[in-house]
Amino acid sequence: MRFARAVSGVGRATTFQDGCRVTQLEAVSEPAADTIVDLLASSTRVALAVADIRDGFAQRWLWIQLAHQDMRLRYRGSMLGPFWQTITTVVLISSMGVIYSKLFHTPMKDYLPLLTVGLIIWNFIAGMITEGCGTFDAVRGIIQQVKLPFSLHAFRLVYRNILVLAHSFVIIPIVLIIFPHPIAWMRLVEIFPGLLLAAVNGVAISIFLGMICARFRDVPPIVASVVQVIFFLTPIMWPPAALGSNQWWAVLNPLYTVIDVVRSPLLGMPTSPHSWSILAIVTLCNCALSFMFFTRFRARIAFWV
Amino acid sequence: MSFVRLEDVSVEFPIYQGSSRSLKKVLLASTTRGNLARDARDRINVRALNEISFELRSGDRFALVGANGAGKTTLLKVLAGVFEPTNGRMTSTGHVTSLLDTSVGLNGDATGHENIILRGMYMGIRPREMAERAASIAEFTELGDYLDMPVRTYSAGMMIRLAFAISTCIAPDILIMDEWLTAGDARFLAKAERRIAEFVGHSSILVLASHSMELVERWCTRGLLLHHGRIMTIGPIEEVIAAYRKLTEELLAIEAGAAAA
Repeated sequence: MRFARAVSGVGRATTFQDGCRVTQLEAVSEPAADTIVDLLASSTRVALAVADIRDGFAQRWLWIQLAHQDMRLRYRGSMLGPFWQTITTVVLISSMGVIYSKLFHTPMKDYLPLLTVGLIIWNFIAGMITEGCGTFDAVRGIIQQVKLPFSLHAFRLVYRNILVLAHSFVIIPIVLIIFPHPIAWMRLVEIFPGLLLAAVNGVAISIFLGMICARFRDVPPIVASVVQVIFFLTPIMWPPAALGSNQWWAVLNPLYTVIDVVRSPLLGMPTSPHSWSILAIVTLCNCALSFMFFTRFRARIAFWV
Repeated sequence: MSFVRLEDVSVEFPIYQGSSRSLKKVLLASTTRGNLARDARDRINVRALNEISFELRSGDRFALVGANGAGKTTLLKVLAGVFEPTNGRMTSTGHVTSLLDTSVGLNGDATGHENIILRGMYMGIRPREMAERAASIAEFTELGDYLDMPVRTYSAGMMIRLAFAISTCIAPDILIMDEWLTAGDARFLAKAERRIAEFVGHSSILVLASHSMELVERWCTRGLLLHHGRIMTIGPIEEVIAAYRKLTEELLAIEAGAAAA
């Protein structure tokens, strides 16, 4: 077997040759002053991080199966299973709908669909952020024993949240049937790129937060309270128009853009003009930041958890 | 053909504890310095492995011995690919199966049968393929109807049976085991030994860390003695065991001397 050639790539590369798996683990050392070595090392790091994400995504079958397993185990012993979450959302929406439509002097038929879609998408986003704190910590046993791409854990987490979203998404058509809205059928395709971008951001955030929270144990409660505050700052329970001339506060909120690009097509409203561009820019920044962090500290995750 | 080569592998990692685990304190420390700075430096750098080099080839049965904290588990984790060396390089070919901890990859709330599938997935075996192997795994564990119960109700010995049976259901090219396996009962150990002997006959590599010299002597042909993260002795198993006994005696003598003084 031509061994050297197979591993001539970088660091942790897994190649298949002669039906055999070749693994090489090379130090990504932290040299003190030697800049040349440092450059080499950082390019190795980038390659390792890219390989990790690529291999993690390639093992789709695994994270898809694991996410389904998570769902099964989470709702074991409950008759309604994952629809528990759906019922909770229904109760929340109907009780909030009654009170807040009065508070905002908005007719129920306008308010309730707005709230429903907004809340369901928010639950999806918030779920990824709060669970993102445990991306690595929650699976520390696995990380300590089995060599898997680290990104795989983030994919599993996001996919699990997509499954949860799918279970509560069924509420939306029901609400829209009870309170009919002019649906532009052609625009419904817009919700897919919107949700896809949300999921991409979810992967980036869960990798980023997962690493921070593995290293610093006081971060998860901070994140939990920040998420709660953001819930009230984001136009979920209230329409951005309620801010009057200060509407741009809401419109520039990146979390609102996610809600906007999914909610507006569903409710047949125009998407706010900057939502797509803001969302695109935020996604890029998010991925870049997360990737930089991942590149730098990936090898440490196993020691942190 | 399987193969493992370590060249000057060192592993160094910071142990975070106390306030260095807190973002708030670390941030405060970097701005105020002073007393708080000392708090945030609750950080100890551990050099768990120091310039380890060796090579393993097909059919090798290799033992890692050494006192607690000598770096055996860290070395096993490097071999398993869990820890990346901070210096040096590790090269290996072949499918690695590691048995570092019984409970890992087993979900306490899931039944034994479900865990067979679950742990199989972590090993890269798809559920359908694993389902075909499930019967022979169940037979090897001899757990019978217990496999329908949640794993959290299992005793330590039952966990070991299950974890071992699943992990070794396909012949690994490289099998990495920590000493916990020795907690199984004698009959099970004999059974496990037969299975491992079979693998090694099929040109697999076995790496076993243990404190039990009898076990090591019976199962392994070569070995290395670790002390404070360094290789003290490497070679045929008899030499390693002799060196281990000598080291233990020396350490005991030093302790006795200290106690007397």
